[in-house]
Amino acid sequence: MGLRDNLPPPIAGRLKYPKLEHFQQPNVITTTADFIFNWARSHSVFPFTYGLACCAIEMLSSGFARFDVARYGMEVFRPTPRQCDLMIVAGTCNEKMAPVLKRLYDQMAEPKWVISMGACATSGGPFYDGYNVVNGVDKVVPVDVYIPGCPPRPEALFQGLLELQKVIQQMKFVPPKLAKAGAGEPGVETAPAAAVQPAAAARER
Amino acid sequence: MPAEIGSVKVEIDELAARLAKLFDGELVDVGVQMPDTVIAHLDRGELREVARRLKQLPEIGYDSCNWIAGVDQLTHLESVYHLYSFATNTYLELHVQVPRDKATCPTVSDVWPSADWHERESWDMVGIKYEGHPDLRRILLKDDWIGHPLRKDYVDLIENHPNV
Repeated sequence: MGLRDNLPPPIAGRLKYPKLEHFQQPNVITTTADFIFNWARSHSVFPFTYGLACCAIEMLSSGFARFDVARYGMEVFRPTPRQCDLMIVAGTCNEKMAPVLKRLYDQMAEPKWVISMGACATSGGPFYDGYNVVNGVDKVVPVDVYIPGCPPRPEALFQGLLELQKVIQQMKFVPPKLAKAGAGEPGVETAPAAAVQPAAAARER
Repeated sequence: MPAEIGSVKVEIDELAARLAKLFDGELVDVGVQMPDTVIAHLDRGELREVARRLKQLPEIGYDSCNWIAGVDQLTHLESVYHLYSFATNTYLELHVQVPRDKATCPTVSDVWPSADWHERESWDMVGIKYEGHPDLRRILLKDDWIGHPLRKDYVDLIENHPNV
């Protein structure tokens, strides 16, 4: 955040997320597109209500009042992949489920992330040599964060979600080409504009 | 409507003796597993007729097929039927031997409709073909799976694992 803060000198300018009342000019924030989009995305992740086995019980309990995932802004579990951007693969994925998992992942809108929760989703876990078990869900969909445990407690899931926030905050929203053009290379910016100008002038005449 | 549970009072030994007498020559090796199960073996050719009679047996009436198990006994396969009688509150365990090289067995899904999915599971896992079943497909594994994984001589092929 690029504004002067209305705070005493020891903490002025050192807040990661300053509030609006900390700014001298209210309702005006100057920042980068990358920062504001990543800030918004990483604090309003919509997870997918998708449980495969016993890890789903821990995922459910993390959604309820005792552990309360809403503290991280992720409480909106959605029952359809179209409205989600996070798939928490909670449980053993078997060979019959794998195509369904892939299809649901494909139905999610970009940007999207996958958390592999527990030993089974990460590597097959205790069923690694089972005849019907996929050894790691990362063979089917790309995984961003792995959470160990069998099953992981809700606290472990929260740590995974916080790690995912770090992953999201490193994303680049503005494509590199566009960022370069915006950085002010006069040749790139002005040449098309100059070509348009005579035509517009001719129409006015 | 099934009878009230336990409305017919009968000792399990007496019940076993009655069944052995009623199905003389069909049920063999009739035994008792305490406290409430009668165990019997029979030939697969007589299964359907015996099943129909067992369900309509007056007073006893095995009107519920709780589950069907497929078992690999190395020398042969076995289809095990677990029946329940509401009236006497007892179980009957029917063992039917199926040879490995020609693993077929008549269906009982028209006698007890609950047998439908159990027979599909037994076909899926052990590979016993239930003749006369209305829709004998795999129920747990993928449709194109090769082999029946709960057989002792099952070999897991790479074709079953496209994601490895």
